[in-house]
Formats: sequence, C-alpha cells, structure tokens
Amino acid sequence: MTSAILQAINGVSLAALLFLLASGFTLSFGLMRVVNMAHGAYYLIGGYVGLSIAEHTGSFALALAGGGAAVALGGFFIDRFLIRRTGENHLAQVLLTVGVAFVIGDVALQIWGGDNLMVPAPQQLKGAVVLPGGIYYPKYRFILIFLGVFVGIALWLLYKKTQIGAVVRAGVDDREQVNATGINVDRLFVMVSALASFLAGLAGVAGGAFLTLYPGAEWEILVYALVVVIVGGLGSLEGAMIGALIVGLLDAYGRWLLPEFSYFVLFGPIALLMIFRPRGLFGREH
Amino acid sequence: MQPHRPLIRSSVAMLAAFGIAAVAHAQSGPIKIGVLAPVTGPLATPGKDMVEGWKMFWDQAGHSAGGRKVEYVIADTTCNPDQALTQARRLVHQEKVHFMVGPLCGHEGPAVAQVSKETGVPLVMDAAGADVITKWDRTPSVVRTAVSASQIGHPWGEYMYKELGLRNVTFIGQDYTWGHEVTLGAVRTFTALGGKVAKMIWNPIGTKDYGPTIAAIPADTDGVSAVVVGPDRVRLFEAWFNFGMDKKKKIYGGYWMHQDVLPQMDDRAIGMIGNSLNYAAGLQTPENIAFTTEFAKRTKRLPSWFGESAYSAGLWTKTAIDSIKGKVEDRDAFLKAMRTVTIKGPRGPLRMDDYGNPIQNVYISKIQKIKHPVLGEVLTNVPFKTYENVSQFWTFDPKEFLARGPYKR
Amino acid sequence: MDRARLMLLVVALAGAAALPWIGGPFWTGLATQMMIFGLLALSVDLLLGHAGLFSLTHASFFAVSAYTVAILQVRYGWPTLAAAPAGILLGTALAALFGISVRTRGVYFILITIALGYVVWGIAHRWSSFTGGDNGVTNVPFPAVGPLAVTSHTQYYYVVLAAVILCGLGYRVLIRSPFGLGLRGVKASETRMQSLGYRTGLHIYVAFVLSGALASFAGVLYVYYNKFVNPVAASFPVSVEAALMAIVGGTGTIVGPFLGAGVVLGLRNWVSSFVEMHHAIMGAVFIATVLWAPQGLVGIAARVRARLKGRDG
Repeated sequence: MTSAILQAINGVSLAALLFLLASGFTLSFGLMRVVNMAHGAYYLIGGYVGLSIAEHTGSFALALAGGGAAVALGGFFIDRFLIRRTGENHLAQVLLTVGVAFVIGDVALQIWGGDNLMVPAPQQLKGAVVLPGGIYYPKYRFILIFLGVFVGIALWLLYKKTQIGAVVRAGVDDREQVNATGINVDRLFVMVSALASFLAGLAGVAGGAFLTLYPGAEWEILVYALVVVIVGGLGSLEGAMIGALIVGLLDAYGRWLLPEFSYFVLFGPIALLMIFRPRGLFGREH
Repeated sequence: MQPHRPLIRSSVAMLAAFGIAAVAHAQSGPIKIGVLAPVTGPLATPGKDMVEGWKMFWDQAGHSAGGRKVEYVIADTTCNPDQALTQARRLVHQEKVHFMVGPLCGHEGPAVAQVSKETGVPLVMDAAGADVITKWDRTPSVVRTAVSASQIGHPWGEYMYKELGLRNVTFIGQDYTWGHEVTLGAVRTFTALGGKVAKMIWNPIGTKDYGPTIAAIPADTDGVSAVVVGPDRVRLFEAWFNFGMDKKKKIYGGYWMHQDVLPQMDDRAIGMIGNSLNYAAGLQTPENIAFTTEFAKRTKRLPSWFGESAYSAGLWTKTAIDSIKGKVEDRDAFLKAMRTVTIKGPRGPLRMDDYGNPIQNVYISKIQKIKHPVLGEVLTNVPFKTYENVSQFWTFDPKEFLARGPYKR
Repeated sequence: MDRARLMLLVVALAGAAALPWIGGPFWTGLATQMMIFGLLALSVDLLLGHAGLFSLTHASFFAVSAYTVAILQVRYGWPTLAAAPAGILLGTALAALFGISVRTRGVYFILITIALGYVVWGIAHRWSSFTGGDNGVTNVPFPAVGPLAVTSHTQYYYVVLAAVILCGLGYRVLIRSPFGLGLRGVKASETRMQSLGYRTGLHIYVAFVLSGALASFAGVLYVYYNKFVNPVAASFPVSVEAALMAIVGGTGTIVGPFLGAGVVLGLRNWVSSFVEMHHAIMGAVFIATVLWAPQGLVGIAARVRARLKGRDG
C-alpha cells in the first residue's frame, strides 16, 4: 500500500516535469505548426546554464530564471533564422531541428563535459517530508509538483482568460482568420515561441536537480515529452496536462509492477491510441 | 589529412600476404598499438580516463618497449558497436597496428573481438567486462587485462553474508549484461551460504527516476545491494537520501561509487561501502601512491578504475613486449607472453589464468574524505577488506562453472 | 537514358568492381556499409520520396530481420538459405503490422512511427534472455548457400554489390510502374487521387509493407557483414540517419540514398578520426541540407548541369 502511494506521487512529480516541457512543445505546434525536435536539447542546455548560474551565485531561483531566459533567447534566434525558413514543411522541420539538437548537444559536451551533473537544489528543499503513515517523500518533488501546477494554472489563465490567449486559440483553430483581423501575428508567434523555449529551459533546471544532466539526456526526455503530446493531442494545453499525468503514472506503475515490459507499458498503449485516435485525446482536426 | 596512399597500401598488403619476409623488415620500425576508447558520447568521461592512464604509462616508459619505439593511435568508438567495429577495422587495415587495446563499453567488446578473430590481430581487452569473452566465447587472439564482470560479484555476495551479516537482501541491478553478471555473481555466492533474496530490481541504464525503485524495496529486507552505472549512480544516491531511506535501511555498493562519480556526491557518502572492485583509488601501496599522485598532477583528479586499468594494460603489454625482445610481429609469442608474464600494477599483483583473464585482488572499499597532497580534500574509495588473488571462477571448479553457462536474469 | 549518364554508370560500376584492389580492406568494408545503409535509406525513401510519408521506424524492420537471421543461424544452426528468407519474412510481417500507422498522415505519422520504433528497441534492449540484451547476438557466420560460401569481406562486398544492383533495378521498375505513379499522385494530392477512384489508403499500406521488406533485406545484408547485432541496430538514431541519408543524397531518386549514405558514413568514420565534434558537424550537415539543398546532392548536380547547359546553349 505504501508502495502504491509512493508510486502515485512519483508518477505525478514526473508528470509535473513532463508537463513543463510538453506544454511549450504543444503550444508552439498549436499556433505555429512547428515540430521542434530540439526541444529536448533546449531542456538540456537550459539545465546546464542553470547549473552554472547556481554554482556561481548559489541561488536556485536565479538558476531557474536564467536557464529559462538563456534558452528563450537562443530559441528566438533558432526560430527566427532557421525554423521559420522551413515554412510548414514538417519533414524539413524535423530534420532541421534534429540537426540543431545535435549541434547543441555537442557544444554542451564541449563546455560541461560528459559527466552526469546535478543542479544543486537549495538546502531547504533537500531531504524528505514525512507523510501520514510514516511515508518519507522528497521535499523537492513536492515543490516540483507545485511548480508544475502553478505553471499549468498560469498557462491556462493566459490561454483562456486573456486577450493574447484568445488570439492564440483563434490562431490554433484558424490562422487565416487571425491574419485577417489585422493582429500582429508575427509578434504573437515570437512571444509564444519564446515562452515555449523558456519553459523548456526552466524544465531543464528543475529536472536537472533530480534527474541529473548528461549527454543523451536530451533525447531521453524528448521521447517522453513527445509521448505526452501524442497522448494529449498536438496543440492542446489540457491534453498536455492529462497526457503528462498518464505518462508519468504509466511509467511509475509500469516499472514497479511489470519491470521487464516497462517500455511496452508506456509505448504500446500509446501506439494503439495513436492508430485509433490519431489526434490524441484532445487533439482537433487540422 | 588522408594522403594518397591506397596503391602503396595495397601493395604492402599483397607483400604481407605473399611472404613472411616482410616480418623481418618491419621489425626495425616502431611498434604500433591501436587504442579503442569512447572519447566522445555518453561514456566520454571514463573513456578519457582510460586514454589518460594509457598515455601516462607510456610517457613514463619513454615510449619504448623491447628495444623498439612504441606508437599508438587512439580511435574513438563513441560507445557504439558499429563504430567500434569500423574503427577496429581501420586500425587493423589502415593503421596496420600490431595489436589493439580496448574497448571500454561492454557491448563493444564482442564487436572488436570479432575483428581480432577475423584478422588474427591480437586484442588486449581493457575495461569491457562481458563474462563470455574469457569463458564461453574465447578467442585465441584475445586476452583480458581488466576484469570479468562476475569476478567482482562473487566476493561481494560472500562479504554481505559473512561480514555484514545480512540474510535477506534486496538487489538493485542495472539491466544489461555487465549489471546482470556482477549482480547475479553476488547472488550466487550469497544464496549458496544461505542468504535470501528479498527482491531483485532491474533498472535499464539511464533510468531517470529512482523513486519507483526505492518505493519497491520490501519492508522486511535487512540490506540493499546496488550495482549501478553511468548517470544512474547519482540518481540512486540522491533518491536514497531524499526518500529518507538513510534513516530506515542500509545500502551498500557492489559496483556503484567509483572515483569518477564521487565529485558529484557529497559528504553524505562518507562511511558508505561504495564498491567491491579490483581497484580502489585510496589503496596505500607504493605503486598506487606513485600512480595516483602523478595522475592527480596531470589531470587534477583521482583516477577511476578505467584510468588504472589502462595504465596496467600499458605495463602488462610493455612487460610482455620486453620479454619477447620487441618481436610483436610474432603474434603467438606476444599472446603467450601476455599470458605468462606477471606484473605488479597500482591495483596489486596481476597474472593471467588459463582462460585469458587476470587473477587479481578484489577490494571492498568505504568512502572517506582524505587530504590529498595534490588535490586537497577529496572523497575517495579506501579499501578495508581485501580478497586476494581472486579468480574469475571464484572458488568454483572452472569446468563445472563453464558447464553451467552464463549468468542470465 | 542519355549517353553521358550511361557512361557515368559504367564508370561507377567499374570503379565499384575494382574497389577492393584499389582501396584495400578498410575502404572495401566502408563501401559495403555504405551500400547496406544506402539500401536502408532507399527503403525509407520509397515512402519519403514517393509517397511523402516520413517514417522513423525503419530501424525496426532492419533490426528484426537482422536478429532473426542471427538467432536462427547461431542458436538453431539454420542454413543461410532458410535463415535469410525467414529474416525478411519476419521483418516484412512486422511492417504489415506497423503498416496500420498509415491511417495517419503528416506529423502524426512521424510521431507514431517514433513510438513504434521505441517499442522494438525496448524489446531488443530489455528482453535479454532472448535477444541477448546489450551484448546482442554474436558470431554470425558469413552466408553460405550449399557449397557456395562467402569466406572473406572482399567476397562479401561483391555479394552486397550484386544485391544492391538487383534491388536498384527492381526498385526502378516499381517506381515506374502504375503503382509508383499512383504513389506520387497520392503525394501530390491525396484527395484528387481518391476522387479518381484510387484506394489511396491501401496503396500507401502496400508501399509501407514493400518498404519494410526492403529494409528487412538490408538488415539481412547488415548482419552478415557485422556478424553481430545488438539493440543499437533498432535505435532511433538509425532511423533518423537513414532518412537523413535519403535527403542528403536526394529524395525520390535511386542514386540519392546511396550517395547520402556515402556522405554520412564517410563523414562519421573519417571526420571522427581527427575532429572531436563530429556530432556537431553531422548536425550542421542536416541544417545545411534543409536550408540550402532540400533536393540533396542529386538536386545540386541537376542544378549545376542545368546551368552548364544554359551557358552552352
């Protein structure tokens, strides 16, 4: 019973991290139809930048902000000068962004080396919380869950309650319509793309403090984020939330109950879902 | 970068095919060694340690052996078997090396052994530890200077039962060949003495989250044994403390906290048993003190077992080459020398068993903070229990051991 | 085919036949690899270049057939004549199963094939009692058919060369057939083809299975060359690289994928011997191809030729 509860919290905390990463991915697809395979590399480099900031300043909050900001800036240039040039050709985008990810990964390897590094979380966040029933659980992961929920609510409010959100939603549904209304779509795109990159960098710092950072982490995390987005439906914020929870819990319970088939448990149902509901749970027809 | 030599090269190859006459000629030239190591990719850090240990040995030895100059070519395998295979073939065919050393990654081992088998060019297997190479799938041209996986597992199982007094252990093992063989080697000796396995938990390499593993440890277990590699080592360490397990249970490293990962850990590690391994950087022998001091001067860090292993592979090959007066063209003589010479490396006395695997000490070590003359305060593995001259077959009869087949989960 | 191209082909063939004599074992080995991966890239390109579908699961068929051959030959002692067809058959069967993914299009197809690819890789990696885990299956012999046995890598090079030429010819027939025309029709406009009465779904499904069969064949050639197979063969990077090869060389052509395989493998093996950052270089090749040479090397060659012609005339 204790194990079952622990696994549930594990699943949710992984889900929180995956949501940070997947929400940006799904938003930039929803609005700009951009499939960015470099999203995992954004996560990694954001984590590394945050790590360096944390080591120099000792501040985890600065690390989070700095890691996110650095990636937002880099993401802006990559978006403007590379991805934008592919138009809506997904094939070219996938290829181009895989290339970008290779370059980022190699540059990171040269700067930070091949060791697995951990972003130092502040002392107050280390250690365990004792839950009723004598269950110990890492404090940091609760904070991560809070962060995920906080970002989720913030995005949801932005998306549903503000004028920007309304335009973005309109853009997801019908881009020509938005263009016709005379709104500066270009600036909107830049903002959403920067937000997506920022979230990826932020996720890198947050994730780097418990999953560690190392060469290859960009692909491992990207695959999970992709699965989240597939399950939830490309372009859907609610989908990313639900998808992250499903993937996080499947992963935790799968590895606990059926360790040898954990990849099956995760990818098998998702492949099936894709075949019968290719747009995911919340995806719309495009 | 590639001069136009293909014609000359193929004519040399033809000459070599036609007669042994070429052998006598070539002997005046330098001895050429191909080193296969993952200098880039996921295991770049151990790979660089390996290269550093190897370089350092030959720098000290003046780049000569058996009266001949020694040259080496380092080829990057990136920890990918396809790449290891291609690079091994390049070393053999393009660089015309006399023998190869490496590779590091377990799954590259069979690929490179394949090239040695095809071409007869000897392979001094350093670091890659798959049991089969020196047990069920032996190749006459392959000898190992590092360690066979289960060789360090067997003493570990006995240690847990006899010295730690454990009876009901949860085993956390990395789910790939090396992890299986180290873990199941320990399980075998542990259960043979009457110990019980509370639970086996296998995690693939690169398991992101050790939360589920921690949560699956049964309440009635009296100890946890960990065999983890790569980035998983830090994650298990952090998860252990973050879940408050340090207040509930004891965890011991069968193969866990090597020198290369200690900088990522902290004072919470002090006092933990980190490894049962054929090397510990804190070993207080004159050979090891000299080795670690020089290594620290050159790299500003202490060597992992990969660094030591490459250094000893250098010493081993040089001793063998010296004993045959530099005639490495005679492959059989070289291999025979590798199998018969004995050396004293930083990790202790070494000699080859009849199956081409070293007989060596296995050290159980604890993490301690020491004051290093070069590096200042550092965490390192300090050995406190030594199993001397351990064979890859432990105390079992080799024939019976071989008849039983490999460790498989 | 005009005379210049015929000449080029003859020269290329003569060069290929003479390679073991000029290049020595290393280049012969590398060329064998290039042809095998070129064939894999060609199989990816049947979907990519002709039907407009970007599959990232072709390493699955490649690996399943390689594993099948390796396991049957090494563990059960099957002869090549039985093991090789079994490999192709199983790989193709998997393609028939995965083929249901053609119910999706565009980016959804890309993403679902990634997920499917991970399932196969996960099985190869984790079902170690059967697949050998990370160590894979080793000691695969050279192929032998009755008394005809391959005994050296040079001989095997010629076997692969012959196989690749045959595949190339067969492929040419296929893409010039009404079937191939239909595929390109779907690529151009699926709805138009539907209104013309084509069952486009079935059409693409058949193409997917055929393409899987070709990838499986490449897997057979691969395992006899490498003499071992492990989970890396089924991994995501293999699928990505196969697609990259097709695009770098030029999609929708036959020579393109092979040229691309030459460039990619050449870069990896040659550059890595003196540059540490070869991943970054590979990445730069990806980016440059997409931005400046979307038609690949074949496209560049065509442009150059067009310009030359323009100047002459």
